[in-house]
Order: sequence, then C-alpha cells, then structure tokens
Amino acid sequence: MFKRILQYWRRLLFYVRRDRFDRELEEEMNFHLEMKARENLAHGLSAEEARYASRRQFGNQTLIHEVSRDLWAFRSWERLAQDLRYGLRILRKHKGFTTVAVLTLALGIGANATIFSAVYAVLLKPLPYSQPDQIYSIGVVIPERREQLGILAPRIHDFLEWRKAGFSEMADMTPAEWNLTGDGEAERVGGARVSANLFSFLGVPVVHGRSFFAEEEVPGKDRVIVISDSLWRRRYGANPKLIGSYIVLNGNPHTVVGIASPSLLVPTGMQLHRMLPFSQRIDVWKPLAPSPRELDGEYWNQGVLVRLKPGEHVERGRQLLQSVHNKFNREMVPDLKTDFLIELAPIREIYSGKLRLGLLLVLGASSLLLLIACANIANLFLARVTSRAGEFAIRIALGAGRSRVVGQLINESIIIAVLSGAIGAIIASFGARILAVYGPEEVRLLAGSNLSLVVILFSAVISLGAGVFSSLIPAWQAYRQGAATGLQEGARMTLGARRSRRFQRILVGVEMALGTALLASSGLLLHSFIKVMNADRGYHIERVLAADLTPSGQRYSNDQQRVGYYRELTQNIRSLPGVQAAGAISDLPASAGTSGASQTIFYDNDTNFMSVVMQRPLALIRSVTPGYFAASGSALRAGRFLKEEDQTPVAVISESLARRLWPAESPANVIGRTFRQGDVTGPLISILGIVEDARPGSVDQELWPQIYRPHQQWPSGRMTLVVNTFQEPTTLAAAVRAEIKQMDPNVPIIAMRTMREIVSASVAERRFQLILTSLFAFVALLLGAAGVYGVISYSVNCRTREIGLRIALGAARSDVMRWVFSDGMRPVLIGSVIGLGGAVLIAQTLRSVLFGIAPTDPLSLGSVGIILLLTSALACYFPAHRAARVDPMVALRHE
Amino acid sequence: MRKTNIPLKTELLPGTLEMLVLKSLERNAQPMHGYGISLYLKQVSGDVLQVEEGSLYPALQRLAIKGWVKAEWGQSENNRRARFYKLTPDGRKQLKEEVANFERTLDAILSVLQPA
Repeated sequence: MFKRILQYWRRLLFYVRRDRFDRELEEEMNFHLEMKARENLAHGLSAEEARYASRRQFGNQTLIHEVSRDLWAFRSWERLAQDLRYGLRILRKHKGFTTVAVLTLALGIGANATIFSAVYAVLLKPLPYSQPDQIYSIGVVIPERREQLGILAPRIHDFLEWRKAGFSEMADMTPAEWNLTGDGEAERVGGARVSANLFSFLGVPVVHGRSFFAEEEVPGKDRVIVISDSLWRRRYGANPKLIGSYIVLNGNPHTVVGIASPSLLVPTGMQLHRMLPFSQRIDVWKPLAPSPRELDGEYWNQGVLVRLKPGEHVERGRQLLQSVHNKFNREMVPDLKTDFLIELAPIREIYSGKLRLGLLLVLGASSLLLLIACANIANLFLARVTSRAGEFAIRIALGAGRSRVVGQLINESIIIAVLSGAIGAIIASFGARILAVYGPEEVRLLAGSNLSLVVILFSAVISLGAGVFSSLIPAWQAYRQGAATGLQEGARMTLGARRSRRFQRILVGVEMALGTALLASSGLLLHSFIKVMNADRGYHIERVLAADLTPSGQRYSNDQQRVGYYRELTQNIRSLPGVQAAGAISDLPASAGTSGASQTIFYDNDTNFMSVVMQRPLALIRSVTPGYFAASGSALRAGRFLKEEDQTPVAVISESLARRLWPAESPANVIGRTFRQGDVTGPLISILGIVEDARPGSVDQELWPQIYRPHQQWPSGRMTLVVNTFQEPTTLAAAVRAEIKQMDPNVPIIAMRTMREIVSASVAERRFQLILTSLFAFVALLLGAAGVYGVISYSVNCRTREIGLRIALGAARSDVMRWVFSDGMRPVLIGSVIGLGGAVLIAQTLRSVLFGIAPTDPLSLGSVGIILLLTSALACYFPAHRAARVDPMVALRHE
Repeated sequence: MRKTNIPLKTELLPGTLEMLVLKSLERNAQPMHGYGISLYLKQVSGDVLQVEEGSLYPALQRLAIKGWVKAEWGQSENNRRARFYKLTPDGRKQLKEEVANFERTLDAILSVLQPA
C-alpha cells in the first residue's frame, strides 16, 4: 500500500518536472548513442557509418522516448482530458445545439433544485432544537367525537397532571397577545404563555439575561417576560439595559428578564394545532400561570410538547402517558364513561404536516419536467449521432475503439450536464430566494435564502445523472451504428438512421406522456383552485374590508365598555360615505377556521350532563354585533337577524346546526326553539334566525356548526370590524382607519385587509402548488413542442430527397403535408393518451388536493388534451409546410 | 495504466530484461549508466543475449517507478555527464524473488525438455 502511494507520488513528481524528464532522457540516450558511435569508430567504421550503426542498434529513439514517458504518465487521465478537450471543441462548434441542450437541462435542474431546497428545509433538515427527533406534540382524542373534533389540543390541567406524574421533559405553550404601550406607538404583540422550562426544553437558551424560574408559574409572580430578538432590535434598538427594566403589556408593567435567541423557531399561526391560533410573529413569552378560572374551565387550548427518552419508542411513550392520563381522569371525573386517547406527533409534523403533500406534489412535477428535459436532450443527441455517423465512422476506421467513440458521446453529454448543473444552481439560488420570501409560511420559516451544501450536492448529482441518462440511448445507438454504415454514400437513409428515427419518435411519445400527465395535473389543480375561489362560503368576498381590533386597558376593563366601543364604532363607520353596512364578529370565519370558543349544545330538556354530553353537537360560538350579517352578506334562511334591542338570551344559528339538532324540522319550524350551551344548567337561549353556513377561507376544512350570539350577551374583546362598501374596499381603508383612530388612538389596528386578501391568503398553499405546477407544465409543454418540432423537421430534412421524388411523381402538396402531420402526430397522440391515463392515476392519489371535481374531471382533461394537440400541431405545421414547399429539382440534387 | 510492450528484437524471454538489469547492478558495486549496463550484458553473456539497446531505457524507467533502482547524474569515465543507476534495498529484494522464480520456471522447463 505504502509502496503504491510512493509510486504515485513519483509519477506525480514526474508531471511537475515533465520537461526536465524529457531533457534528461534525451541526454541520457544521446550519451549512449555517442558512446556507441565511439565504440563503432574504434571498430574501424567511418564516422557516418558509426553513427548510423549506433542508431540502428539502439532502435527507434522517438518510440522509446514515448514509451518511457507513457510509463510515468497517467494515461487514462490524459485520455479523459483529451476527450474533454475534444468534446468542448465540438460543443463550441455547434453553439446552437449546445445552447438549447444546456438551457433545457438547466431549467429542469434549476426547477428541481429550487423545489428540493424547500423540501430539504421543510421535510429533511433537522429542526433547530437539541435532539429534535425526541420531541413530540401531544394531542387528545375523544373517541366519540373523533369525527368532528379530530385531535384536540390538551387542557391546562392535563398538562399539569402529566407533569406532576413525572413527565418532567414536557413543555407547554398557549397563544397570547398583548397591547404593548410606552416607548412609541401602541402595538399589538403576539406571543405565548409558556411553561418556565420552554427554552431549556427546546435546547435554545435565551442569549441575554435569563429564562423563567419554576416559581414564576404562579399568578402574581408571572409579570416577567422574555422578548424576541426582533422585537428587541425593532422597538428598543437592541438596548442591553432593557433587561431588568419594565415594559407595559395590557397596561401592566412586566419585567424583561431575557432576550430569546434570534434563531429560536417556534410555531406560528395554526402550525402547532389547527385550533390554537398563534400570532404570525411571536415576540413575547410569559410564564404560564393559570388563573383559577382557566384551571376550572374546559379549554382545549394548550400546545404541549414532550421529549421522549433517548431511544424510547413512540408507542411506549404514548402508553406511559395514556396510563397516567386514564388514572387522573377517572379520579377527576369518575362518571365519565370514555377514555380520552393520547396521540403523539413528531414535532417535524408541526412545521411540515400541512405542506408535505403539496411539496411532494410539486417535487414530482419538477422531476417530470426534468425527465422531459432529459428526453429532449436524448433526442437532440440522437439526431446528432445520426448526422455525425460519418465522423464516428472515420474515427473508428482510423483506429478509435467503439467504446472510445461512445465514451466521447457520454463525455459530451456530461460536459453539457456540468454546464447546465452550474446554470441550474444559479436558477435555483434565485428560485430558493423567491420561495423563502413568497413561499408558504413553513418554507419561509425554515428555509434560509441561501442554498445549502446539500442542495448544491443534490443538483450536482441530478445533473450528472441527467447527463448520463440522456446519453444512454444515443450512445447505444452510436455503438450499434459502428463503422459500417457511416462511410457509405447517403448515410442518412441507412438502417441506422431509420432506427434512430424510431427511437426519436418513442422519445417524443414519452415526452408527450410525461408532459400530458404534468399538464393534466396542473389542469386539475387549476380547476380546483377556480372552484375553491368561487365556492360559496356563506359571506361576500368582494367589497368587504376587515380590521382586527382589540380595545384594552383602563378604558375597556369591563364588558360593558367594550360592547359600547363596538356599538359606537360600527355606527360611526356606517355613517361614512361609501359604506353600505358595518358590523363586528369575534372570529372572522374566513380567517379563524375552526379556532375560537366552541361549546357543546344541549336540548332544553337535557338534564344529565354526563349521559348526553358525547352525543350532543359541538358548535363554534361567535359573538357578533347586530350589523354583522348585513356587512358579511350571509343569507338568512329563516327567522330574523339580531337587533340591538334583544334582551333575553338569543342566538342565530347556522343551517347545519339546525339540521343536526332537529333533522326532521324545516328551518322555519326551528325558529323560537331553545337550547343551552356549555352545560345543562345554563340559561335557555332561544333561536331567532337561521343563517347559511360560513366556511373558512380555504373552504376545504371541515364545516363546523356555528352559533352567533349578540355581542352584549357574549362579550368579546378582540373583534374583527367588517365593512361592506359600495366600491373597491381599499378606497375606504384610509377613512375607516381614521375613524378608528379618531374614536380612540390607543386602540391598535392589528390588521386591515380586504376579504379578498384574507381568502386569498387562506388558499396560499393551494396557490403555491398551482403556480409551480403550472409553471413546470408550461415549460414541459414548450419542451414537448420543441421535441416534436425537432424530430419532425429533422425527419423532413432527411427525407427531402424522398419527398422531392414523390412530388416529382405527382404527389399533391396536401398529401405531403398530411404525411408529415401523421408522422409527427402519431407519437403525440399515443403519448397524450398514456399521459392522460397517468394523470388520472396521479389525481387519484391527490384526491385530498382536488376540490369540487373528480380526478377524471372532463373539463380539465379535455382542455389539456386540446391544448396539447394544438401545440403539437403547430410544432408539426412548420416542418410540414417546409416539406410541402420542397422543389423536386433541388431535392433530387440534394446530397 | 496500459502496458505498452515495445518489440524487442531479442532472444530474451519476455520479462527477463528487467531481471538482468537488476542483476547487472547487483554484480557491480558501482552505480552504472545505461550504456555501461548494455556493455556489461553483452560481455557477460558472450554476445549471446541480443538486446535492442534502446529498450533498456523504458526498462530502467519502469524500475525507477517501482522504486527498485535510483538514478543520479554523475561524471562518466570520459568526463561526460551521465545518469547512473543504483540498486535500492527494495530492488535487491525484488531481484532475489525474481531469480528464485525464474530458476523454478527454468527447472520446470528443463525437466520437461529432458525427461528422466
């Protein structure tokens, strides 16, 4: 081994001193010749004869020199370098071919690397926690309610009991928001109330100051906060003195004890749980010190994470928790008949769960695109193999091995692959940056805007793979073509060329099949998207403005004051010119989805809570001002809407709840009936009206029954002001804003958006899939058309002579057009039919992404078919036209 | 690495040239130059072994790559610059092996040629 290395080392040295080696060998051999000549001279030969004899005895000096040099050199490497140089020269000579091939492949690679960067960030890259694989989020399932509720977030006392039972590696967080005042304009900050150990649990310690102490999880001692690095920089100029001083949240001073790490990743929005609405930005953490009211209530609103022991199996961890849970649950509620089920989900699913399918879908689309690009390049290569038959034949005739010729071809395609890999990486770096800014929330959270090494490696590997892959068929063809055919006259019409044309057609067919599948999938997505956007949500989307408000502090410390605020505000807004209607609701259906308060609804004759609670429906409770329905545009099915004067407990309920409670009754018969919410002992609430169901903006979530209570009967602090305008709602935004500020400048406007924007944001993932898939499908269509065009025009070129002959013999130009068309369209047709079949299969697996259409949706598939046929026909038209114009005289002299 | 055999117009068994070169270097305590080796081979074999003289040089390069000989420039008898070759310890070991191998082969061949 060591000797071998020494040998290589000596040979490497040789490379460095190559000239010296040549000189020395020359000198050495000359010395020999001279000595020899001298010897011969001594034997009595003349000087010239002596020299000649010495050379003869020595042998071929040049050959000997070369052989000696070869001994040292790394021949195979040099040969490779030679082939590379030759390949580069060839590619440089055929600039058009090279450009097309490189760009095609670069597009495919760029698309794949871009998507892979997102896939890597969201699905593969370890999360920035210590031992992220051990962290799971805990969900609770009520078996009888699984269908409607799915997996619930635990309650606070669940968490406390688990922790008491010895699950020390457990952290809790629950959404919270505060009005931050002082040191500048009032603002609404999002955050979470967390168990004291959150930062150490995640393994991301606070960078300045300290985190919380366990004793701070007690009401009264919990006025300490850790703030985010970004809030610290944005509002306090990264002032280190902030630590230890007070800031005012909801009118109460809180001590800032620490600044979180800038790289701390925490769930935002509804990532942790679909019913736990965290803010989009988490800026403040406060110890979770549950009030007696919270401990008493049934709030399924805790995000609980558990860290399993290293190597512990999930199911084992789950069972441990389950047994603890069953034990305390039976002690607490002895007459509860059911055991709540504990479920554990890996923390990665928090960040990737919703996106996984969409990302894989888009990755699939981009890999189809890459395959099409490969097929296209293989086609270009095939055409060139046939047209370079002469060159190959000459090289083989001159002694190049067939394998060397084939190797040369693979070599060229690898050069192309390397070039396109480089360009693809550049495309991907832009693409990744775009995704990191405009992509879905999860991608934005997890992906850096720089390409990671893994992504670069990925693109290197796929570009080499694509290079080899696309040169396989051409190389095989070149190998079979061999020497024999190339040197003959009119080589293009030989058997080899015909076989090569057949391959080209098969490749076009494959391209078309892949392209059709891609195009059809994006057609299905597009149709679903249109259906989603046009779906009846139960409220107007156009000409509606929504503003989230939270009056808080001294002026709004009690319900009366808050109710008064909204009553006055909606009246003032209604009087603004251009406003049709205005109202407010506690959780806007478009954005809140199924989050917000929900309660079990009981019939007025229910008496035993425990015996019926599992059979009664659960409904979302929304608090609305009387003007809300007019502003939202929801249709009344029966009865009437709420009025300011309503005094006794009343409600408007959604159509689905009415059906659920009284399946046999018509809506009109339900009016005036009464129910209780939350408990069998609550006040009787009578039904004033039935309104159409309001669906979440994204529509595809499950539909929940809803109850609308008058604001004065079910007060809520945070409300969304909904304004229905006569014109474009944005034109009134300034006026509405001014009105809110005029009423009370200390009430922060958390967000003001049009309903269209809210709905549009709620379908962001759908749009992400749609845009990328359509983009890829469009490129695939172009590549496919280019493939058809290339093959047909090449075929026409090859057959110019034949076509000329046919025309000379009396074939009509229209016949020629028809031949070319049928020649070109056959692989297209076969490919598209296969592709459509494939698309239906793909769509079957994507059922959950489709909306309102079947996987065999005739409109999508049909229009895709038409687009494909038209494009391919266009691609055939130009060569066909050219063929029909062939002048028989010129053609017969061709070649 | 492709092995290139140059045609040797010689009666030598293939592969033996290198062994002979090593042996020459072993016999002569002094380092030898290529011409010296060729002279020596001719003398010792009594002109029986015909070596195309040029082929010595690739053989010497091969031995140098393997590390069996070491080359150094020096002065020749007639005060010319010449490259002298010297056996290395590795070369000595290699020679011993090759000679042993060769003798075994030779014995085998001889026993075929001269049936007892």
